[in-house]
Amino acid sequence: MLPLSLVTWWYGTGWRDQVELCGSRLSRVSDRFSVGLLLRSLFSPFRQISAEDATGRSIDVQMRAWLDNLISRCIGAMVRSAIILVGVLWLSVETVVAVSRLILWPLLPVLPLIGFTLMTSGWIPWHI
Amino acid sequence: MAYMIFEHGSRRAREARLAARLTGWRSSSLLGLCIVLGVIGIMMLLLGMALGWFVLSLAAVPLLLVVWDRRYLRRLVAGKTDSMDSRLEASLLAVLPAHLTPKALALAVAKSRGGQFMTVRLGLSPNFLAEMSSGNPDEVAHIWLRALELRGGSDIVTGATLTAALIDTQPALKAVLPHLQLDEHDVAAGAAWYQHLDELIQSFHRPRKTGGIARDWSFGYTPLLSRFGSNISDIAARGGAPDTTLESHVDALDYLLKTFSSNGRQNAALVGPLGSGKTTVVHAFAERLLQADSDLPSSLKFRQVISLDASALISVASGRGELESLVNRLLVEAYRAKNIIICLDDAQLFFEEGVGSVDLSNLLLPVIQGGGLRIILTMDEQRWLQIAQRQPALASAINRVLVPSASEPQTMLVLQDQLINFEYHRQVTYMYQALKTAYRLSERYLYDQAQPGKALRLLETAATYAEGSGVVTAVSVQKAIEQTQGVKVGASTDGAERDKLLNLEQHIHERMINQTRAVAVVSDALRRARAGVRNESKPIGTFLFLGPTGVGKTELAKSLAEVYFGGADRLIRLDMNEFVSPDDVRRLIADGADDPHSLSAQVMRQPFSVILLDELEKAHDVVLTTLLQVLDEGILRDIKGREVSFRDAIFIATSNAGADHIRHHIEAGEDLEQFEGALTDELINSGQFRPEFLNRFDEIVLFRPLKPEELMQVVDLIIAGINKTLEPQKIGIAIDDELKRWLVAKGNDPRLGARPMRRIVQRVIENTMAKRMLSGEVQPGQTVQLTMADVPDSSR
Repeated sequence: MLPLSLVTWWYGTGWRDQVELCGSRLSRVSDRFSVGLLLRSLFSPFRQISAEDATGRSIDVQMRAWLDNLISRCIGAMVRSAIILVGVLWLSVETVVAVSRLILWPLLPVLPLIGFTLMTSGWIPWHI
Repeated sequence: MAYMIFEHGSRRAREARLAARLTGWRSSSLLGLCIVLGVIGIMMLLLGMALGWFVLSLAAVPLLLVVWDRRYLRRLVAGKTDSMDSRLEASLLAVLPAHLTPKALALAVAKSRGGQFMTVRLGLSPNFLAEMSSGNPDEVAHIWLRALELRGGSDIVTGATLTAALIDTQPALKAVLPHLQLDEHDVAAGAAWYQHLDELIQSFHRPRKTGGIARDWSFGYTPLLSRFGSNISDIAARGGAPDTTLESHVDALDYLLKTFSSNGRQNAALVGPLGSGKTTVVHAFAERLLQADSDLPSSLKFRQVISLDASALISVASGRGELESLVNRLLVEAYRAKNIIICLDDAQLFFEEGVGSVDLSNLLLPVIQGGGLRIILTMDEQRWLQIAQRQPALASAINRVLVPSASEPQTMLVLQDQLINFEYHRQVTYMYQALKTAYRLSERYLYDQAQPGKALRLLETAATYAEGSGVVTAVSVQKAIEQTQGVKVGASTDGAERDKLLNLEQHIHERMINQTRAVAVVSDALRRARAGVRNESKPIGTFLFLGPTGVGKTELAKSLAEVYFGGADRLIRLDMNEFVSPDDVRRLIADGADDPHSLSAQVMRQPFSVILLDELEKAHDVVLTTLLQVLDEGILRDIKGREVSFRDAIFIATSNAGADHIRHHIEAGEDLEQFEGALTDELINSGQFRPEFLNRFDEIVLFRPLKPEELMQVVDLIIAGINKTLEPQKIGIAIDDELKRWLVAKGNDPRLGARPMRRIVQRVIENTMAKRMLSGEVQPGQTVQLTMADVPDSSR
């Protein structure tokens, strides 16, 4: 009865549980790298370094503020792009791991059977 | 009635038992076996042995079991059937035998986490439940039914819920509840407490999304704010203390969210008494802003709440100009960063001049009125009113949010949540009774804070008085309040105190002569109070002493303060001839900061006192009316509207009204009891006292003039007093009967009672002794015998 319970869980709730687990892990990674937020604020000034308001000031001051802002936005875009890149890579690796895990999950209970078949076939990869 | 069935052999029950077996070393062994098989299999394959495939694949078997155990068995959810085994907590289900009786259930719950929680929190001994439960299996169905009623919204019946159901349904267990100062509601509340903590722990383990590494990259640096402020958002992101969202806080929190989401002035003043949870609301607000998956507008999401501490700022700035400049830089930094909400905790310190506070209104008002900077102020209502009166522009520019004091159920919830951290740090465990007692006593004796702050503060103090293995009981809380407030709150259990109470009359008579009825009534009142049988919503006792002057009315109040209340300083004396105009009421109820000698201030400081209202008849009617409420309910509202409790005080009012009548009746040979009623009527008819006022006293006691033989005893008491004064110099006095009789004859005045006696003794005995001691006639260790010959001619 209990082995049946294990098998029922493994191919039912257990598998769904793994899907949720992988989903939550991916969501955590995505949150950690703030990919959505970075995309939305890609060209925003970085850390508001040039936030001083130049409205109504001389052309010279306004030009300097505009330049400061431009530099800040460029730095911001570069830093954010780098993080987006790292984040996307990390997410890709996590996705591959998650998909592999979900594919391997249903195979785990039948592994002894596969192992027995391989044993009887006598196949050893590095003996070819 | 399907829930009345319990299937011991059901799948869920067997899984629960397997889960119980797989805990500890068995689970670790399975994991170890998995690793060993994996390593051996790989090594065999490396050595070219095909058997390695099989050995390696066998590692999957223990791995399956470990995963199943960790992801399923240990989190066994409620089953889908209607039988009771589908609803029971797995750890409890695992230990239940096949044949159930209440006793078997009690034994099982004692092993469960929930059951142990209940026994510790309610103060039950571990075997108590099993010993007192019946062995009748027919009663089990009733217990199941009650457990299902008590589980609230939960799918699962925990060990705590089952313990509550057992106590509630087993008459022998229920009968013990009053001895533990509990009722069935408290037991249900205990089970709910366990369930709530369980939910808190689960929510703590849930992953939180707080915006990630780039959250603040679009906003400015805030080095100055980091140095001088406390980042509440950071504290909340790290987990912080559990914040209980109280009903009374929900409105305030919603209002804050709405205000800061709108396009209007984004500011708010949280106004409420100290301890009502204003800072907790700010913490809850900061936590809500950090929830990435909340439905907040993006303009508000991930905003940082930074609290500025006025005293820290004032301490680093040497002068007013420097402070203004510093605060200005901080506000500019917050404005430029664009994601900062400034919180000025105890904001009154920024709006008034005083010790530890500086008026920065000129700087802050334009900022608040401009609405450019998001800002939250917290302050108490009184200060808000004062500031609003002084600065109407500020009051109209800011959104006021009221944070009221919490009710008893709300306070209990906060205490249950907040004490988790405290228990961990102080290594103590709070009993449920301690929480209840803390609410009750803090409500009664602590005035400077509101709930839940004051109950929490009292419980923190009570940890010092924890019993045995760190258990904080109701007695610990009583000791804490007794030590910090100087009151006696529990029923007397101390042997010495009980002895003193039982022989109180004797102790008082060591200091005063006769007036046995008066001594008896005050002694009875105190015994009632300390035995816990008095009406707790009134003062310990209220007495009106009537009689001529110098017969011991005031002396009895003094004796009582010294003998039982712990010293002469426990006597709060009000000469009512100083309260002769209606304006004098203010002096009764003045705030302690303005007048430390007002009645309300003195009782706030020292609730366990004897309050002597001397010459009551001379007080103005308005003053007497004010005192009516105190005598009746034991409560007086001070000038700030705070309720001051007089329920641990004893009132003694004295009056000379009717003194002549008493003397005439006594001289006519009547007993006091014979004319007591007639005298009271006369006092009412003559308009000296209103009937409703006299009715407020527990007893009206008549004092009769002292007889010559009693005055002889008074002389003895005065001489004993002198001997006590001379005791450090090891000198004593003794007087013969002739001198004593002379002193009585000279010192007794029918109108002034025994009062002139002290003056005569001072003139004759003390003066004579002083001269002898100065001339060296009296040496240490000597007892001087005084006779009539020693009385100077000038005194005769």
